Amino acid sequence: MKFLWKIGGEAGFGIMTTGLSFAKIATQSGYHIFDYAEYPSLIRGGHNTYDVLVSDEEVWTSQIAIDMLVCLNKDTYTLHKSRLKESSIVVYDPEMFEITDNVQKISVPLKSMIKEAKAFQIMVNTITLGASAGLLGADEEVLYGMIETQFAKKGEKVVEYNRDFAKKGYDYILEHYQAMVTPILKKRSQIETKLVMTGNEAFSYGAIVAQCRFFSGYPMTPTSNVLTQLAGWQEKSGMVVRHSEDEIAVINTALGASFAGARSAVATSGGGFALMVEAISYAGVAEIPIVIFLGQRPGPATGMPTWTEQGDLLFACHAGHGEFPKIVLAPGDVNEMIEMTAEAFDLADIYQTPVIVISDKFVCESHKSVPKMNVDLFSKSYQPNRGKLIHEVPPEKYLRYKISDDGISPRLIPGIKGSFYQANSYDHIEDSHTTEDGELRKLQVEKRGRKWDTYLKTHYKLPTIYGDITTATHVFIAYGPNKGSIKEAQKLLKEKGIETAFIHFTHVYPLDRQKVRDIFAMTKDKKCILVENNSQGQFGKLLAMEAGIEIEEKILKYDGRPIYPEEIVASIK
Amino acid sequence: MTTVQDFSGYTPTWCPGCGDWGIGVAIKGAFVKLGLDPSSLCVVFDIGCSGNMNDFLNAYAMHALHGRSLATALGVKIANPQLPVVIVGGDGGIYGEGGNHFLHACRGNHDVTVIVHDNSVYGLTTGQVAPTADKGMKSKSTPFGIIETPVNPLVLAVTQGATFVAQTFAGDVNHMIEMIKRGIEHKGFSLINILQPCVTFNKINTYQYYLPRVYKLGLEYKPEDQREAIGKAMESTVEKFPLGVLYKVERPSFTDQLPQLSGKTLVEKTYDLAFEAFEEEFI
Repeated sequence: MKFLWKIGGEAGFGIMTTGLSFAKIATQSGYHIFDYAEYPSLIRGGHNTYDVLVSDEEVWTSQIAIDMLVCLNKDTYTLHKSRLKESSIVVYDPEMFEITDNVQKISVPLKSMIKEAKAFQIMVNTITLGASAGLLGADEEVLYGMIETQFAKKGEKVVEYNRDFAKKGYDYILEHYQAMVTPILKKRSQIETKLVMTGNEAFSYGAIVAQCRFFSGYPMTPTSNVLTQLAGWQEKSGMVVRHSEDEIAVINTALGASFAGARSAVATSGGGFALMVEAISYAGVAEIPIVIFLGQRPGPATGMPTWTEQGDLLFACHAGHGEFPKIVLAPGDVNEMIEMTAEAFDLADIYQTPVIVISDKFVCESHKSVPKMNVDLFSKSYQPNRGKLIHEVPPEKYLRYKISDDGISPRLIPGIKGSFYQANSYDHIEDSHTTEDGELRKLQVEKRGRKWDTYLKTHYKLPTIYGDITTATHVFIAYGPNKGSIKEAQKLLKEKGIETAFIHFTHVYPLDRQKVRDIFAMTKDKKCILVENNSQGQFGKLLAMEAGIEIEEKILKYDGRPIYPEEIVASIK
Repeated sequence: MTTVQDFSGYTPTWCPGCGDWGIGVAIKGAFVKLGLDPSSLCVVFDIGCSGNMNDFLNAYAMHALHGRSLATALGVKIANPQLPVVIVGGDGGIYGEGGNHFLHACRGNHDVTVIVHDNSVYGLTTGQVAPTADKGMKSKSTPFGIIETPVNPLVLAVTQGATFVAQTFAGDVNHMIEMIKRGIEHKGFSLINILQPCVTFNKINTYQYYLPRVYKLGLEYKPEDQREAIGKAMESTVEKFPLGVLYKVERPSFTDQLPQLSGKTLVEKTYDLAFEAFEEEFI
């Protein structure tokens, strides 16, 4: 079962909170969800929408077809009616607009209910939440429980007030549309506890698990929530979170904290990342661990701030002047985000170099339900690996940048008695003093370069293959956040009798040339299709550069909207 | 007890007669007087002739990016507030490229000491004007004279939240030692602006220029008064340069106001977190 509920209305009318409440009513009733919100870059006015895909199985993406559309204004209907079918339910107020199309109409007198109760206009969202719960057969107690959690901080009065309005909506449906009630949200007998998390929240949670101790940020959509989430957790996490004056300060301050010995991270989007790039290079030469979370949105420049795109992959992989090792990870969903965030902190410490976790607005801001048990299993078993960090001066002369076979040198925590060294942004010799000697410089370039080899041998992970590549006729190739829509498209195509496989890359940079080529050797005689949310097929270019693999056929989308599974299916001939 | 020798690294490469020689000696002298040793503090160097001290001074150090030394240093201090943190940079790095960081570090009253070699030029790139250059100063990048008026770092610091603002002169080692020592001892953001002749590229602001124009603040001067301090700091407009502590007030530092840092430092802390406490809000 899959059911897409969508609510739309004017910005500032509580669409976001109502959407999240609906999602949690679904998970608390025993279902899985994936949600996706669209909103313009402004605070009041404009059009906001919130989709929640409900399913009895785990879901990783949204879809085009709407099963139920809740209209808080006329725009919601006119802008989205092309996504409706005859069986779609539309909740609306005939006092706002009339519907002549052939859909399942549920008219609720929202305006007069508000007028009668002398309430603020914003309460319509609570009425429609109640009406949605009623229409979809949700347990009344789950609905009110949700209202209670949502407004608990605002006091019993506010809780009661909202409960009353939710009940108005719920009761109205039972009274007038009893026959239309479908058991989409009917409480299941066995309910596994789930966490409803966005990619941003998953990164934040992963940072907590990884014992990150310092985080600095500057608000920028779509990762502002990482800053606010971690800031809100400071009391219980003990992490220090600093909102700096700009992104340049953000990363340099984090590098200072990391140099001092505290695990440190930053989060940003393309524009902020651009400001950080010089410091990424500093981290590379001075060999300072740092985790950078990069949530992509459409560029260039300010672009479309609140929409989604994957236009910064090549920029991320090549960020920083000069040559130095860097690792780029691209989780595909909330689970992978938690685990790979923790992995990023380990890799940064082990390789003493920048590690970028790259995602996009679609994954950063969309909630996905994950079984709590899975998350706990990981967080309780995780142990940080801090690599060659040392707390005592070694008996032999300590050399911060000692030449080593694996390219990694022991890193002494500054302040330890009996030694000193510098994190030098200039080329330097083993003991960290500056040098302009050609031979000595080469030795350090080669030492740092060996970190690439060590990583590829030790920690690099090959892509995951979904489906059976031997029986498949079509093979999808994508990285990170495209995972959900492709996996869903695979299911839909299978129903149509088309066998597919999907090569999903999470460890996107650097790539192991030979091992990747070995995988692609299996795709000979298959139709390979690159899927990306950008206009240039950047991951395809990276594959060509790093592994000499060329993929001719591409599904590219760059209108600021995510790729839907139906669109992938439609492009397969 | 440490000696100046313990802090002495490579032989400096500064021009003969450069003010940086005196500053280098004074920094080491102040460290010795404070009973510090090279393992017990962190110096963050900016880029420039001043920042080149990274190889001449023994200490845990970062040779940061140009203009970013201050932003970098704040992270060291937050992670390990027990470590004295000193920033060494020039007027270009601290007041120009890093001007934004300077303002905000003052606001936060971060407990670090910034030592600025103020010579009105970019020495290491062979003598272009710096933000402290007097209006009209001719240089390779401003052949017709600089159009902008000079930045006044002392006024900026006093008005933006710094709690210790001092000025000293590269020709007076003992005075520099005293100012640097007091700046490090001060709990909060301390600025030590050092008037430093660049003998190679600044033919105007020479030792001879400064000697008759500098004067020491007397015992009667009360550095707690912000208006007085602004008045003193403004005297550069009439080519008078007060030396000494212009401004000093007590206010909790940034790290003093973080309850997370009340016990152990971020570096020493061990965590045993109950993850359930972070999961509740997602159910």
